[in-house]
Amino acid sequence: MTVPGSWVEAVVAAGAVPASHIPEASLGRGDVEEFIGADPVEGGELRVEPLSDARPLAPAAVCFLDGIEQWRVVGYGGITPIVRAHAAAAIRRRGPDRRLRTVAEATAEVAITRLDRLPAGVRGALEGAGVRVLEFPAEEAGQPARALAAARVEVQKTRTALERRLGEARLRALAAEEWLVVDGVLSDSAALSEHPRALGVVKSHGAQYFEGAELERALTLADGHRTGVFRPKARGARRDIYSWYVRLWPWEGNDLLYGLLRLEARAHPETIALASPIAAWIRAERAPVATPDRRWDRLLYPIHDVETYLRARAPRDLTPLPASRLPRTAS
Amino acid sequence: MIERRDPASPPPPPPPPPVAPPIGRVVATEQKPATPHQFHFWTANETSIGIGAIVRVVEPGNGKGETGKVVYGVVTDGFAYSDLATPLHDVVGAEGDPAKAAASPTVRQEIRLWTAAVLRQTPEEPLQPVPLGQVHVATDVDVAQALRMDAYLGGAQPTAIPVGLYTSGGLEAPVYVDADFLLGPEAAHLNISGVSGLATKTSAVEFLLSSIFQHFPPHKGRVAAVCFNVKGPDLCFLDRPGTLDDEDRRRYQRLGVAPEPFQQVRYFAPFKADGVNLNTLRTHPDLVGDVEPLVWGLREVLDYAEVLLNRDDIDAKADAFIDFLADRVVDKEFEDGFGGVHRVVTFADLERLFRSIFDGLELAGRGGGDSWRTHHIATMRKVRNRLANISTRCKGLVTDDGASNDLPWGRFADRTVYVVDVANVDPLGQDLVFARVVSQLRERLERRDLGVDAVVVFVDELNKYAPADGPETYVKKMLLDISERGRYLGLVLFGAEQFRSQVHRRVVGNAGTVVFGRMDADELATPGYQVLSPATKIKLATLPIGELMVRHPHFTQPIFVRFPRPAVLRGRDGVERYPPTADLPFEDAVARQLVKLDRRVRPNQVKDVIADRREEDVRRALAHTRQTRPQDALAHFKKQLGGRVAAAPAAARESVPPLNAISDEPY
Repeated sequence: MTVPGSWVEAVVAAGAVPASHIPEASLGRGDVEEFIGADPVEGGELRVEPLSDARPLAPAAVCFLDGIEQWRVVGYGGITPIVRAHAAAAIRRRGPDRRLRTVAEATAEVAITRLDRLPAGVRGALEGAGVRVLEFPAEEAGQPARALAAARVEVQKTRTALERRLGEARLRALAAEEWLVVDGVLSDSAALSEHPRALGVVKSHGAQYFEGAELERALTLADGHRTGVFRPKARGARRDIYSWYVRLWPWEGNDLLYGLLRLEARAHPETIALASPIAAWIRAERAPVATPDRRWDRLLYPIHDVETYLRARAPRDLTPLPASRLPRTAS
Repeated sequence: MIERRDPASPPPPPPPPPVAPPIGRVVATEQKPATPHQFHFWTANETSIGIGAIVRVVEPGNGKGETGKVVYGVVTDGFAYSDLATPLHDVVGAEGDPAKAAASPTVRQEIRLWTAAVLRQTPEEPLQPVPLGQVHVATDVDVAQALRMDAYLGGAQPTAIPVGLYTSGGLEAPVYVDADFLLGPEAAHLNISGVSGLATKTSAVEFLLSSIFQHFPPHKGRVAAVCFNVKGPDLCFLDRPGTLDDEDRRRYQRLGVAPEPFQQVRYFAPFKADGVNLNTLRTHPDLVGDVEPLVWGLREVLDYAEVLLNRDDIDAKADAFIDFLADRVVDKEFEDGFGGVHRVVTFADLERLFRSIFDGLELAGRGGGDSWRTHHIATMRKVRNRLANISTRCKGLVTDDGASNDLPWGRFADRTVYVVDVANVDPLGQDLVFARVVSQLRERLERRDLGVDAVVVFVDELNKYAPADGPETYVKKMLLDISERGRYLGLVLFGAEQFRSQVHRRVVGNAGTVVFGRMDADELATPGYQVLSPATKIKLATLPIGELMVRHPHFTQPIFVRFPRPAVLRGRDGVERYPPTADLPFEDAVARQLVKLDRRVRPNQVKDVIADRREEDVRRALAHTRQTRPQDALAHFKKQLGGRVAAAPAAARESVPPLNAISDEPY
């Protein structure tokens, strides 16, 4: 659903000081940084498996799910920021003709602020504008920098909720030989983490699962190899899944994380049997390369395509302009 | 289909709103903005449109019931690209193996981006950039609107001439040109360029002439065509039906043109040097009877002596002497000043006059005289030699002493093609034929006594007759004159050539309608084609037979059309079906011509009559018979031939000593 941007005009007319600021953090998705540990399930300790003999899985059709988030501070009520955020998610399906076509899509526009910190008039205007309002916690509302960080979390929640909703709906429509590849973790969703043909592709490696030699083995994985399957230790609401690393490109001369992906699939013995075919399949997805995205070494082209699609359809005024922020009058 | 409207009938209802889904959308960026004359749009990768396709852009309405602007455009260029940042990334993705690149699991995003030139905007004012609206494939009605054909397809006096079918994306629409702009008086002339050997130029002109004859509006009067056949058998079988397939017939039907050969064609060809066999490839016994000899005498030649005489050769003195001959001597009783009276009608008469003058001067010259009627003897000798040379070089076309046989001046018939076959004639003779025929057409159209109101003159090989550089020949001057002033007279030039860039600029520049067949790449690289997009040039360089690009004053951009094969027998097919016969012996050729004049004549009778007679006497008698066309051809022929005279020894002549023992006179 797209809500007209007129609610911004309404709150400005009600007394909010207009602003136009796109925080740097809104340009990309933050990594979840945590240490949870893991238990190898393919052998006693984390192993390294070559993929040279693995026959790549070749699904007849694959759906790729990704989402984007964009946000902008559009005004201040006192020192409390009023954020306009746009989140979108889409699934693009690749059939036998190897072309991607959109099969599902969802968007959300929300206002994020702390209502009780706004002047009454501005608050009334915002509540009456018909836009969905999300509030960051009261304890984050004092210092604007903290408020913006809190707003960002709300934007991410909105986006992940959209992705989850789309993904779970798509699972019900998957054909027998069709897979769903999700950009990110599966463990946010019970349905996704239990489905036999759902695959999570994780590019960020903030989470630490191993220590010592196993960690070194994982992070120095050679090109064309995968690690053994392991079970990340569940924490909080995260569901039980199996995971393994795969290297898409040689990292030597670049960085340890260069071309390194972590895959997630359901926690099931069949996943262990499919680990190499799946890793070989994902490695085959290196081409075409997802340039000019800077993360091209880890970004699968179909995921890049979904992002491109969503950004092409996102509101233009949330896209940062390639210009300096000259002082603007508040009128 | 675009129907030709009866002016008496009420105007048709407005076209229904388009129901077909859009095939594209106009896009404009800072780098590639939409302008009033050009726009860009994208389509799906799988699309039916291509270079030359006509599209319609519809501006969304303003929501208040007002419809937006409608813009018609023709696709002039196309682009395809993917989201690949640099070619190197493709190499990286495929690890240097092209086979792997083709086998990548996902096909990159691609775009089909098209550039279109605006044909028309409605409303036309204010003229604004093309709106960023939806793009639709043009329908028949759209094509008529886009090409502004609505101005002359309907109304009280429609002037539309079908020229071909616009074909794109499964859609086909007739394209018409405006007779007022093809045959005058608003604009006129047609120029067609294309590489040789594909028969496109000749075929296109044949089809277009057929279309003109069938669609020339009655209110514009009578029309005829004079076609110079300058190579092979190209135009020798215009009255014979050719082979058409179902597709050709369907196109004829779509264009509203009957697929039939020309109903009235008259062929003219000079004789060969023997004076009795026609110099044409249409000599098959079934057809040669239709070919009329083209024979000119002194009078016809002298008026165009400038064509035949090398200008470097002819100074003012010689010019004055030629004018003297034309004005004071030819066809008049003339006293030579030495006691002789002459009536000069033929080259032979002229030669007798010259001989008399030279003899007289030589006899009188013993006293030192070397001028006659203020003309120096050297000038006269020079003119004599040049004129004598004409009858030698153009033997068969120019007769020394026979009667002439010419095109039916003053009796040109409506919707008739006059083919003048000069394919095997000496270039000098070709020039003469062209100059005289065109001059006659111009003079008679000026006097309105030709018999028709407009004449299309088809001349192939304009590279040769009106080159961009080279000397200012009489023929070139005539072509320039037609190009620049012909449209007021109804004298219309249909010119064809291989290299347009090598034809005089004023000849091609004055052609209101320009047609291009398949073009040579080198030719397309010349400055005259800079206005065409690279894609259009590529299309022109690979154009199939039967497809043309047409520029016409009503069309703001060139349009590609397809035309059916002409319904006449092609030259090369004609010579296979009607192989030319070998030259007949003199007696047989004479007999055949007399039989043609009078079916009662028996060849053996003719052979008996002409046995042992001098060939020049036979030719003279035959020419007279042909010109007179008597009821009893053989009797008239015999009379002209006269009785046999027994040979007698020549009387001794008084010898005349030369003027100088060793003469410097080079002639």
